[in-house]
Amino acid sequence: MTISHHPPEDLLADFAAGKLEEAHQLVVGVHVAGCARCARFVQTIEHLAGAALEDVEPVPIAPDAFDRVMSAIHESPPETAAPPAASTTDHDLPPALRRYRIGKRRRVAPGLSLRPIELSGSGQARAFLLRSAPGSRMLEHTHTGTELTLVLEGSFSHEGGRFGPGDFDYGDDEIDHRPVVGDEGPCVCLVAMTGDLRMNGFLGRLIGPFVRL
Amino acid sequence: MIAAIRALEMPIRAEVALPRRVAARLSIGASRGPKAKVDWADLIGRVASDGDREAFKRLFEHFAPRIKGLMLRAGCSPDEAEEIAQNTMIAVWRKAHQFDPATAGAPAWIFTIARNLRIDFFRRRSRAERLQTSSELPDEADQAEAADILISRGQDAARIASAIAQLSAEQSMVVRLSFIEERPHPEIASALGIPLGTVKSRIRLAMNRLRDILDEDA
Repeated sequence: MTISHHPPEDLLADFAAGKLEEAHQLVVGVHVAGCARCARFVQTIEHLAGAALEDVEPVPIAPDAFDRVMSAIHESPPETAAPPAASTTDHDLPPALRRYRIGKRRRVAPGLSLRPIELSGSGQARAFLLRSAPGSRMLEHTHTGTELTLVLEGSFSHEGGRFGPGDFDYGDDEIDHRPVVGDEGPCVCLVAMTGDLRMNGFLGRLIGPFVRL
Repeated sequence: MIAAIRALEMPIRAEVALPRRVAARLSIGASRGPKAKVDWADLIGRVASDGDREAFKRLFEHFAPRIKGLMLRAGCSPDEAEEIAQNTMIAVWRKAHQFDPATAGAPAWIFTIARNLRIDFFRRRSRAERLQTSSELPDEADQAEAADILISRGQDAARIASAIAQLSAEQSMVVRLSFIEERPHPEIASALGIPLGTVKSRIRLAMNRLRDILDEDA
């Protein structure tokens, strides 16, 4: 898997600092788990964070905190590190995704279906798996918010290049694009999206109401 | 009065063009200060192998107040910061056997635990808030654990250390202030003695530089 499109550095740094909202953390996390280059970047930020932790002004902790921590340690036995019950049975999904409950697939347009990923609801963005038929041409669209896309299977291309498995694409309201799905097979993407998609052109306006992504 | 302030400012500016506090923090940040360096990794190892309470107490006394400090900086309330600090230390005890000194520095490892707890904490809170208005069942496992897999990639430790060493003091400080301590840009500008208008570009430069250094070594 040759990855040629990576998340921007500030997104990786926010990921390392734990500042991303859930949907974004999920998409960036799945990319990083499969990309040695970005993993190194994230680890480097984590090391800088370690240095920041060493230097930060210490703030007095509750006087009984140590005793409380010790009794918590002794009260409940150490977790047996049982992995959380797999919420999905899709074994072809990346491990980080298997922890989530993923809803039923629903068709949103011809050749296009999605499965919503259940998040805690703490953020603004939604996450879903988007599956498009090989060779399909997505409608020209713009975003009202931001869209983070990670290719899991297959490929698509647009003005920004070709995006294959592991590639990360960042879209915002300044980008107006029209992706074409590769012929080699269906394209499955993990998507985090804020705002809505705006379909452009006559056909888009026509089917717009049905494309509730 | 003004003269006194000037006199105070002079030696500070002369040194590294950074306020004294930041300059001092920079030198400590390199962890090669004059202070005797405690081997945190060794203490964690003793907790893992013998359940050494004394070793744990030293870790606790050093890190718990710092975790609390960092969480306050990152926008937690004092109660939340206290709870995350305590829970982080409980996790340090329980996960001590997972710590690999060859891959992660102890402070970075402890940071990732605190970070993941903070993420879980906020998610659980928002889930609880949601539950008050809906009938959904709270049955999801904590998700942030997934982030643990990152720090376990060990083969890159040397490369990362060398990348950090190659960053200028200002560059690593700008990354820390903006991403980890989440300081507003005006504060970063005054901490580094640079115009507000250049904070954004300095952050971008530092990010690009870091990426370049890491790519060069590849």
